[in-house]
Amino acid sequence: MSAKLEIRNLVKKFGGLTATNDVSFTIEPGQSVGLIGPNGAGKTTIFSQIMGEHPQTKGEILIDGKEISHLATPQRIHAGVSRTYQVPRPFSEMSVAENIRVGLMPDSIWDMITRGPNREREVEIASAIGLGEDQLERLPSELSMGDLRKLEMARTLATSPRLMLLDEVFAGLTVNEIAVISDLVQSMRDDGMTFLIVSHDLKALEPLVDHAIAINHGEVIAQGQYQDVMGSDIVRASYLGTA
Amino acid sequence: MNLRWHHFALWALFIVGMFALPQFVSNGTLRTMIFANFLAIFAISWDTLSGRTGYISFGHPFLIGIGAYTTAILTHRFDFPVEISIPIAVIATMVGGLIVLLPALRIKGSYFALVTLAMMELVYQLVQVVRPDLTGGTRGMSGLPTLTRGAANGYYMSVSLMLAIALSMWLIMKTRLGTALSAIGMNEEAVSGSGLSVTKLKMTAFLMSAFIAGLGGAVYIHYLGSIAPRALFDINFVFTIIVAALIGGAGTTIGPIAGAFFLTFLLEYLRPWLPGAERYMVYSGLALLIYMYQPKGMWALMTQATFKSKIRP
Amino acid sequence: MLQVLIQGLLLSGLYALIAVGFTLIFSVGRVLNLAYGAYLLIGGYAYFYFAQTLGMPKFAGVLMAGIFGCVLGLLKFQLIVKPLKGNHVAIEISTLILAVFLQSTVIFVFGDSSKILLPIIPGVERVAGAAIPFSNLFAAIASWIILLSLWWFVRSTHMGRAMQAVSMDAKGAAISGVDANRVNMFTWGLSGALGAIAGVFFASYTQLYPGMWVAPLIIAVAVVIVGGIGSIIGTLIVAHIVGFLEILTSAYIAPELRGVFTMLLIIVILVWRPSGLFGREEL
Ligand SMILES: Nc1ncnc2c1ncn2[C@@H]1O[C@H](COP(=O)(O)OP(=O)(O)OP(=O)(O)O)[C@@H](O)[C@H]1O
Ligand SMILES: [Mg+2]
Repeated sequence: MSAKLEIRNLVKKFGGLTATNDVSFTIEPGQSVGLIGPNGAGKTTIFSQIMGEHPQTKGEILIDGKEISHLATPQRIHAGVSRTYQVPRPFSEMSVAENIRVGLMPDSIWDMITRGPNREREVEIASAIGLGEDQLERLPSELSMGDLRKLEMARTLATSPRLMLLDEVFAGLTVNEIAVISDLVQSMRDDGMTFLIVSHDLKALEPLVDHAIAINHGEVIAQGQYQDVMGSDIVRASYLGTA
Repeated sequence: MNLRWHHFALWALFIVGMFALPQFVSNGTLRTMIFANFLAIFAISWDTLSGRTGYISFGHPFLIGIGAYTTAILTHRFDFPVEISIPIAVIATMVGGLIVLLPALRIKGSYFALVTLAMMELVYQLVQVVRPDLTGGTRGMSGLPTLTRGAANGYYMSVSLMLAIALSMWLIMKTRLGTALSAIGMNEEAVSGSGLSVTKLKMTAFLMSAFIAGLGGAVYIHYLGSIAPRALFDINFVFTIIVAALIGGAGTTIGPIAGAFFLTFLLEYLRPWLPGAERYMVYSGLALLIYMYQPKGMWALMTQATFKSKIRP
Repeated sequence: MLQVLIQGLLLSGLYALIAVGFTLIFSVGRVLNLAYGAYLLIGGYAYFYFAQTLGMPKFAGVLMAGIFGCVLGLLKFQLIVKPLKGNHVAIEISTLILAVFLQSTVIFVFGDSSKILLPIIPGVERVAGAAIPFSNLFAAIASWIILLSLWWFVRSTHMGRAMQAVSMDAKGAAISGVDANRVNMFTWGLSGALGAIAGVFFASYTQLYPGMWVAPLIIAVAVVIVGGIGSIIGTLIVAHIVGFLEILTSAYIAPELRGVFTMLLIIVILVWRPSGLFGREEL
């Protein structure tokens, strides 16, 4: 159920811009780690390198000790890592149930054709994430921001990950919605899921993580216990914009 | 699979209706309907690739042409029987198309459209100059073996083929494969982010599309009994196929069929007033209006009107 | 040899002129305007109508062609491209439909058969066995002048820089106060006018007929794709590659194959290096 993630000396260049510079960290199985940093620090870019959407310029990414850099995104999903997107972009003309269905699909054309969708599993994931059965046939355009984020989580969860990368899961949510997603993350933690969570909402993040990694300008500036990282001068300074 | 009994009832009704038609209409109308059937086949083929996945093919006649030329050359120059040459033509279309266009499926959107367009023009030019002793060069070939005689038989053959293809595609698109293909059209990144190999899916869509195009193309020229490069590799032909699929409703099965019939009959009814190519003025003007107003086609317009459902424009 | 050189230069100049309007739209508006070929068609017929049917002076005919192209470009932007709001698939498809519409409108008005355009400047000069019609020479020189002034314009004027800004980053440009709508209008108008004028020259080089828009569209596409999106210099270089390729093919291999290498070039480059031979997206 849990996966270990090791990142070694990750460098990503977009033309002349260095989005991440020599980033290294390790997440032990079952740990929940917050990834924090100001806008443009390179948080999302770390995610897209882990998923292989924007392959790194240099460095290594290991899941459970195995290098995954040579794998395409779908294979990385099968290795047990999955992510949500900062801006939810669901399949816009598909119902909630169908969105989840895509996440549940096997990567075999033959299976797709010969076996029908697993309705129970769709309902199960939806309700685990707090989407009611009455919402299953809705289109994404009819959902609130909170429900869209839930759908994003549901689609990610459907791929049965052992390591989840959550990008700004609380952005644009009401206090109640934050509580729902927070509870969900808590209960998955209890089941052993490994998490790497990006959030600007530190109040919502704090109870969900034990460790934190702070980055700025693409470089790790502090990592360790959450409280220690948040207490360090350099992190405070970077948030106040003086570093 | 989300299949309901009334779906099958509607199909049964549709099939019975199509087969009963020759009793009620003139031979002239039947001949028009034969062309509509073939156009429907080509439009379904286009839709299987482009309508679902959003990879727009502007060179579909390239695929149709491989099928058509393969069987024409085999039967005309090497005296193959049609029963053998058509299956070979279908396989040639799938393999040939894949070799040429597989690299192109890696590239995105507009570029894919351009490669297919260039492909069609390339084949058009090559067919005329490379081995004209085989291809018949600019003039093409005539006197090819025909499959049927008489309007009614031609109609039964074309409508059976069209319905068989339509029903199979409808069934396949109802499965999760259909869902996955449409998902590519909406957000390719999220499909691979769901653990599905997008390349494999696109290839599957392409092979199905090529299968239909090759089969349709091969049977079509054995209905016509002749083949001519200018009529085949023609931007107006591409345009007719795409517009048939779009005007009816891309991403559906009934849409391309409806579009093909609508357009074929529109062209036919315009003939007394506008005998030449200027008929396309009405045709394209109408297509443009419908498309600008509702890119999802008449099918969506109708369902919108009936159910007032929220389909995004 | 000299003959090939001269013919290559003439044809390449014409191709550069054809491609440059397409480049503008592709880089500023980021849309694949498949109706671009129709500007050439409309331009050619407008010139035919005003200069030959009505007997207006030739210069006025070219001017009218430019005006027609410009208006067409503006209409297309306002009525099709803007309402579709950056939906690229929809824009490609609707511009294709529009092209067929314009083609059939031309057939409706002028008939199906091809027309002969009298040379804009009559006369032929013979150099080393190569016939150089003054018309073609004029077209090549005109296209060089137009291209160079465009290059200067984009680099040195306020509007030109605004176009560059929009081409690089539409959102960023909007934030820094560039009115993207105005820039787009201007670009579509300019592109239409350039396309229509190129159409006059192209039609007098080949012939004037309703289906004449497809070949130049593909040439424009080839030049832009191979040259790299939005690079005026790349456009110029590749227009010469394509032009010479065609002349060489028809001189030394077979005249019927002259288009084949252009097609192959597009396909290979697109698949192998989608950003083009001469790289990136600056004007
Ligand atoms: N595809 C891309 N091409 C070019 N530059 C990019 C790309 N993606 C990100 N960048 C740049 O890389 C840097 C890091 O971006 P990233 O999105 O990772 O930041 P972030 O920490 O997620 O910020 P935010 O809190 O705003 O989400 C930024 O300067 C951004 O502009
Ligand atoms: Mg981010």
